[in-house]
Amino acid sequence: MTVSTQRGGGGGVVERGGGAGGGGLADVVELILDKGLVIDVFVRVSLVGIEILTIDARVVVASVDTFLRFAEATNRADLYSKGAKPKDLGELAQSITEGGAKGKTSGALDAAVDKFGELLSSRREDREEAPRRRPRPRERDE
Amino acid sequence: MSDMVSETQTEQPVEGEEELVTPVYVYGLVRVGTQIPDDLPGLGPSGRVSVIEHGDIAAIVSDIPLDRPLGTRNDLLAHEAVVDTVAANEAVVPMRFPAVTAEEAVVEELLAPNEEHFLAVLDDLEGRVQYTLKGRYVEDAVLGEVLQRNTEIRALQDKISELPEDASYYDRVRLGELVVKVLEQQREEDGAQILDRLEPFAVSVVANEPGQPEDVVNAAFLVQRDRLREFDDAVENLGQDLDGRIRLRLLGPLAPYDFVPPE
Repeated sequence: MTVSTQRGGGGGVVERGGGAGGGGLADVVELILDKGLVIDVFVRVSLVGIEILTIDARVVVASVDTFLRFAEATNRADLYSKGAKPKDLGELAQSITEGGAKGKTSGALDAAVDKFGELLSSRREDREEAPRRRPRPRERDE
Repeated sequence: MSDMVSETQTEQPVEGEEELVTPVYVYGLVRVGTQIPDDLPGLGPSGRVSVIEHGDIAAIVSDIPLDRPLGTRNDLLAHEAVVDTVAANEAVVPMRFPAVTAEEAVVEELLAPNEEHFLAVLDDLEGRVQYTLKGRYVEDAVLGEVLQRNTEIRALQDKISELPEDASYYDRVRLGELVVKVLEQQREEDGAQILDRLEPFAVSVVANEPGQPEDVVNAAFLVQRDRLREFDDAVENLGQDLDGRIRLRLLGPLAPYDFVPPE
């Protein structure tokens, strides 16, 4: 929950988070499954008869779905420039960043969620409707 | 998508041979004497974390659940919380998840044979802590730029707008592909600028590959603890300069995941 002590976590334009349980699952997965010390002695877990879920945190590469998503976003962006009245700019930027951040979660975690199976079943529902459009900004993570 | 949840249920240990093995979870390594808060949330049934020491090196460990497979969301978060809490104040070498071994092996196979090496790694990390910076384009802002500069994309867009949705499928895929390509070129430049601005405030930088097309940067910075303020200010200033176009997220303090030597 350590948010930057220097700023008390507020006020700036940079979003703060992570560190000691403060990050989202996607950030955590990226760190602790991909990085950190690996020693031979841990590889032989079978020795102690422990069952471990293999979690695959591969970064998802651009796919047709990604392209369609960007095509859709681009067409939407053009509407704005042709004078459709945009929402209040601040609000707009915010909703987009949120959408963006959650989008990332969905992409990077697709594979992982698969692997987590029912252990993370609550995260599954939005995954099923994810492929075409941007995931809705809410109800992800945390 | 081959390696699915492989429930690596291992064969039962041979009768009478390995029944006495007690499994432990290892979170990370520290110097003996490092402050380990009492209330760290272990992932085992006891909920507690302790240390096993050998010479000058210690492993942060806990029990593990035996009635279910390891690897739930809470297991991952516990691992991270333990190492990052310690890392907030002191040097720690984080393990990669999942690090399980037999209790006796912690000293015999982990600490004793590698003591010198681990101490050297900890020396390098002394007084330093990791921050990870992620930057992402503000989508509409940057798509506007892309459209303005690229006539091919605009032409394709016009064509699509005149076709019924079914008929424009391939053009839409092509349009998205072009946009993604432009974004990926664009981030080379933007990402490099971001790193240039922050590099002077870090001891070391690791630039990871951004995951999604709209991600600009994903970099780990090893920062001297006594320069955290400067680093933080630099990130904030940069965030202000980029505001409206690139949104920055700063994660930390973190254990130095990106600065653990390989092997």
